[in-house]
Amino acid sequence: MIDVVATAARPATPDWVRRLPEYLMIWVPLLLSAAHLVTFSLWTIWISFTPSTLVPVTGWVGLRNYTSVLASRNWQIAFDNLLLFGSAFVLLSLITGLLLAILLDQRIRGENVLRSIFLYPLAVSFVVTGTVWSWLLNPGIGIQKLVHDLGWTSFRFDWLVDRDMAIWTIVIAAIWQSSGFAMALFLAGLRSVDADIIKAAQIDGAGPIRIYRRVVLPTLWPITITVVVVQLQFAISAFDLVRALTNGGPGIATQLPALVVYDLMFQRSQLGRGAAAAVLMLLILLAVLLPYAAWRYLRRRRATHA
Amino acid sequence: MPITTTRRRLLAGSVATLALPAFARAQGAVKPRLTAISQWSAGSDGAAITALGKKFEEKGGVWQHSPVPGFTTEMMNKLRAQIMAGDPPACSQLKGPEIAAWSKIAPTVDLDSIVAAAGYEKVVAPDLAKLHKPGGKWIALPLQIYSTNMLFLSKRGMDKAKADKIPVTWADFNELAEKMKSAGMNYPIANGGTRPDDGQKFEASFAGISPTAYRAAIMNLDKKALEGPEIKAAFAQTRKIADWCDPNVGAQPYATNLKRFIDGDMGMMIQGGWAQGVLRNAGFKFDDFIIAPGPSDNGKPVFLLNADAFIFWQRKEPDLQAGQTLMAQLVMDPAIQTMYSQITGSIPVRTDVNLSGEGWSDGQRRTAAALKDAVANNQAVLSLAHNMAQQNGLTAAMIDVLTEYVKNKTIKPEQAVTRLADAVEGAR
Repeated sequence: MIDVVATAARPATPDWVRRLPEYLMIWVPLLLSAAHLVTFSLWTIWISFTPSTLVPVTGWVGLRNYTSVLASRNWQIAFDNLLLFGSAFVLLSLITGLLLAILLDQRIRGENVLRSIFLYPLAVSFVVTGTVWSWLLNPGIGIQKLVHDLGWTSFRFDWLVDRDMAIWTIVIAAIWQSSGFAMALFLAGLRSVDADIIKAAQIDGAGPIRIYRRVVLPTLWPITITVVVVQLQFAISAFDLVRALTNGGPGIATQLPALVVYDLMFQRSQLGRGAAAAVLMLLILLAVLLPYAAWRYLRRRRATHA
Repeated sequence: MPITTTRRRLLAGSVATLALPAFARAQGAVKPRLTAISQWSAGSDGAAITALGKKFEEKGGVWQHSPVPGFTTEMMNKLRAQIMAGDPPACSQLKGPEIAAWSKIAPTVDLDSIVAAAGYEKVVAPDLAKLHKPGGKWIALPLQIYSTNMLFLSKRGMDKAKADKIPVTWADFNELAEKMKSAGMNYPIANGGTRPDDGQKFEASFAGISPTAYRAAIMNLDKKALEGPEIKAAFAQTRKIADWCDPNVGAQPYATNLKRFIDGDMGMMIQGGWAQGVLRNAGFKFDDFIIAPGPSDNGKPVFLLNADAFIFWQRKEPDLQAGQTLMAQLVMDPAIQTMYSQITGSIPVRTDVNLSGEGWSDGQRRTAAALKDAVANNQAVLSLAHNMAQQNGLTAAMIDVLTEYVKNKTIKPEQAVTRLADAVEGAR
C-alpha cells in the first residue's frame, strides 16, 4: 500500500526503476539456471570424449565411449525398455487421464474431493510410489498373497519377479502416479470449450457421445500434445521410480537409460562412458522436444497470420 | 582448475601462517586425530567400528568417523568428492584392486616403516599383502577377512531332512538339497537376489569346481579358461542353486530369509562369514546353525577371499599424521583384530591369532583353518562378487551377465559362457 501511495505521489520515477524488482526476479534466476544447465551440459559432452574413469581427466578418445556404451547389453536392454515403457506409459496415461476427466466433467457431486484424490499421487515422491508398489506387487506379501489368502490359490500375479513382465509393473506405477496430471490438464481443456458450441450441437440433435467425439475432443489437441511431451520427457528421464520399484531387475531386465548413466558414473567409476550415455539420453530428449518446439512455432505463426 | 589450486594454496598458506605459533607450541604433544569414512553404519559392522573408535579414544585420540551407509560404491562417491576438493579423509575404507586404482589419483601415506616395526608382513597371506602394496610400498592395511563361500546349514532344516553329514563336494550339496526338498522344503536354499549374491552363487560354484580354472579365468582373465569346460560346469551348478532359491525374493538381500532359514523352512545358504554377525545380531544362537567351508570337488577347502581394508591418504596436519600412525598400529594389533572379528563374524587378517579361546564360534575356527589349508594348497582365490578380483568396471560388467543368468532360466550355460567372455572383452 505504502509503495503505491509513494509512486503515485512521485510520478517522476522512471518506468524501469519501478519494474526493476520484476526484472530481477525473472532474469537473475533464469540466467543462473540457464548458465548452470548450459555449462554442465557442455562439460558432460566434453567428458564423454575423454578417457575419464575414477575422476575427470583431459585427453581425447574420440567416439570410443559412445561405441562401447552402444555395444553394451545394458544400454541395448535400456533402450528397448525405453521404447516399450515410453509408448505404453504415455498412451495409457493419456487414455486414463482423458477418461477420468470426461467422467469428472459430468457435473457430478463431490467433484473437488475426487479431483484431489486423483491428483494426490502426483504429490507423492516417486521413491515412495516405487516402494509402495514394490510391496503391493511382490507376490510373497502383496496382491497375490491377498488373493491366495482369500481362497483363490491358483491366482498368479508375479510380474515383479517375471523378467518379461517386470517392465509393465513400472508402467502401472507410473500411470497411477501421473494420470492425475493428464486428467487435470484435460479437465481444464474440457471446461474451456465454449458452452455455446455445445448448445448448438445439442440443438442440432447430437447425442452426448457424438458431441464429445466431434465437438469437444478436437479442441483438446493442443493439450494432448502438451501432455504427451511432458509425459515423454518424464519417461525418458525416469530414474527414481525404477530404482525404488525394481532397481533394474530381475537381473537387468528393467534397465532404463537414466539407470545406466548412474550405474556407469557412480557404481562402475567410468565417468567417460557415463557421460557418453548421458549425452545419448540428451539426444533422445531432443528428438522429442525439437519437433514439439517446431510445431509450436508453426502454430504461433499460423495464429498471427490468421 | 589452475585458479582453484592457486586459491587453495593461498588459503593453505594463510592458514599455515596463522597456525604457525600454535603449531610450534603444540608440536611436542599433538593430540592424534583421525578423520575416517566407511560404509559401516549399522548392525555388527557399525558396532565393530564404533568399538575400534573407542579404543582409539582410549589411546588419547580424537575419533571422527563419518559413515556413508549403503554399498561400498556410495562411500566411494563421497571419497571421490573429498579427494577432488583436495580434502581427503586421513583414512578411508577401500579394498582389493581399488586400492591400486585410487592410489593413482591422490597421494597416499607410506606405511612401510610402521608395518616393518610391527613385523606385520610375516603374518599376512601373500596374495592379500600384494593388494595392499600396489607400488611395492604398504599404503593400506587389511582389517578383517571373510570367505564369501561359506556354507551355512540350518540345524532345524537338517533335522527335518534327517541329514547329519556336512556336504563336502557339489554332488553332496546337490544331494542334500534334493533331500531337503523332498522333506517338504519348497526352497531349500536361502540365498537372496542382490547382485553380489548372484555373483557369489557363481563364484562359489566355479571356485569349488576348480580353483585353478577360477584363478585363470576370473583373476587373470585368461581367454582359454574363460571358455573352458569348468566355467560351463560352474554355470550349470549356479542354475541348480538358483532353481532351489525362492523366486519371490526378487532383488532383496538374503537377510529377508534368515527367519525361514533358522526355522528350518529353508535349509542351506552360500554366504560370507558376515552372515554369522547378522544372524547373531538378529538374536539367533550358535546352536541354530552350522558354518562349514563351501563345497569343493577336490575335497580340500577353497577360500574365496574378501578382505576389508583401510587406505591412508596424505595429510599435512600433524595431528592427523599422528592419528594415522596410531590407527595403523591399532589395525595391526592382534587384540584389536580379535575384538573386531568377534563382533562382525570375520576372521583376523593375522594368521598367528589363536582362535581356540572364548568368543570365537566353531564357524570362525573352521574358516580360519580353511584359510590356512587353502593357502597351503594354493586354493585361496580372490572374490569376484565382492570386488577383490577385478576393478569395479570389469566386475560390474561380469556381474551383469551373472545376475541376468541367475534370473533368466532360458539362458543356457554355454550361452552364458559366451556372454561372460564378451562382457570381459567389452569392459577391458
